[in-house]
Amino acid sequence: MIKIKNLSKVYTKGRNQVTALESITLDIHKGDIYGIIGLSGAGKSSLIRCINRLEEPTSGDIWINGVNLVTLKSAELRNARKKMGMIFQNFNLLHSKTVFENIAFPLRLLKTSEKTITEKVKKLLDLVELSDKAHVYPSQLSGGQKQRVGIARALANEPDVLLCDEATSALDPKTTKQILDLLKNINKELGLTIVVITHEMEVIKEICSHVAILEGGYIVEEGHTIDIFSKPGNAVTKHFVEQMQHLPEQYLEGKVLNLSFTEGSAGTPIISRLTKVFDIDVNILSGKIEYIQEKPIGKLTVQMHVDCHKLLDIITYFEENHVKVEVLKQ
Amino acid sequence: MNHWIELLTPSLLETLYMVFASVFFTILFGLPLGIILVVTDPNHILPNTRLNGVLSYIINITRSLPFIILMIFIFPFTRLVVGTTIGTTAAIVPLIIATTPFFARIVETSIKEVDWGVVEASISMGATPFQIIMKVLIPESMSSLILGVTITIINVLGYSAMAGTVGAGGLGDLAIRYGYHRFQTDVMIATIILLIILVQIIQSTGNKIAQIINKK
Repeated sequence: MIKIKNLSKVYTKGRNQVTALESITLDIHKGDIYGIIGLSGAGKSSLIRCINRLEEPTSGDIWINGVNLVTLKSAELRNARKKMGMIFQNFNLLHSKTVFENIAFPLRLLKTSEKTITEKVKKLLDLVELSDKAHVYPSQLSGGQKQRVGIARALANEPDVLLCDEATSALDPKTTKQILDLLKNINKELGLTIVVITHEMEVIKEICSHVAILEGGYIVEEGHTIDIFSKPGNAVTKHFVEQMQHLPEQYLEGKVLNLSFTEGSAGTPIISRLTKVFDIDVNILSGKIEYIQEKPIGKLTVQMHVDCHKLLDIITYFEENHVKVEVLKQ
Repeated sequence: MNHWIELLTPSLLETLYMVFASVFFTILFGLPLGIILVVTDPNHILPNTRLNGVLSYIINITRSLPFIILMIFIFPFTRLVVGTTIGTTAAIVPLIIATTPFFARIVETSIKEVDWGVVEASISMGATPFQIIMKVLIPESMSSLILGVTITIINVLGYSAMAGTVGAGGLGDLAIRYGYHRFQTDVMIATIILLIILVQIIQSTGNKIAQIINKK
């Protein structure tokens, strides 16, 4: 669906050169919700804007449905863009036009007949649950409603891809959730491929089937969201995944272990069994279970007073039960 | 009272004719000029540094000339266009030439106010530069443009008084001939009051229209 090959973007200002993206290679399949996460300045915005060439890549190729976007002339590029919807952090709606006209805008660019426009816009208004706001101006809408209009507008041309540039970053958590649910729905119902860039891990957890972690213009890790979450291999990834809480020193006595449960093990009462098998006491210092697209991932920090031999046995026991162990203190 | 109406009406009509005819052409020439100034900027939708530089330069030159000097300076051109350099219609030529660059700058400022994000959104939807100008830049800045037109009308009203000195007629001419040369202070005051009323009407109408259009 979308194949990005060796994409680089260098900004030149006078004599200064800043490399925003360095040999990015990505493969996004049809129907994926592909998340790209990174801190500010990681290059994620440049990356998504290169996909529809709002920014010109310095080098590399972007294949969409077998067409290399980089080679397209302006008229062909405009046609290609019509098959790519985009939504923005600041919504970017036309203030001078009603909700209806905003959604109709991409259709009017194509000189669609009035009858088709009315039909299509009505359907889209239904989809984003704004039928009652058709003749209202954007300034009278809340942030979440504005983004719904943005989504409806992006869908008007029945695109193959939806690009979301920090689409929920300006919204509160509750509205974010609603917008994400809407995106998830659209993905399911229309089979639309969605590319999301964000700095919020919640967004990735909530909707993304795949994730790439971007750092300093490079992709440092990439794969299925659930895999990345359960076994983060990279320091930056860990930063996003764990958002480490620091345990106060005085609690760090005895042996302290970090446990990660995945789908295979999150359902079993593993700690309870551990205490029986090894006849030890286990103290839980912190813990949580998260659901990533309805799949549970558990994180637990436990403390126990055992000697080193027993600790090795315990680690083996955990690993046999598909629990990933990290020793914090021995 | 009749005497006043007889005296003021022709001058008022001359003024209105001069002002609205010049403003009509000023918008006709100045709006595209202002838009070209914005879109040919290196960071806009139709970058063309050369054209941008040349236009900006010409506008600055025209704007540096005081109106009364410009009017005399372009007499040959005025004669070429309307066949004469005196009279109300002749005054319209220098008025247009003086006001068009002024209005172009105002248009430039208004169009630049349009949020770049909205322009980018239209680019991402595959809009052509012409569609962006017609369907995004102009409608989005309409309220601000109307205020710009209002300022321009009032500006032309001021210039048109000066045009009176080359026989263009109008309220300015009346005030000078009667009020100054013939020491008829009452005529002077009457013209001033009329001008004040005119400016008030133009400004408040402009504000009202801009307010209705503004959906921000």
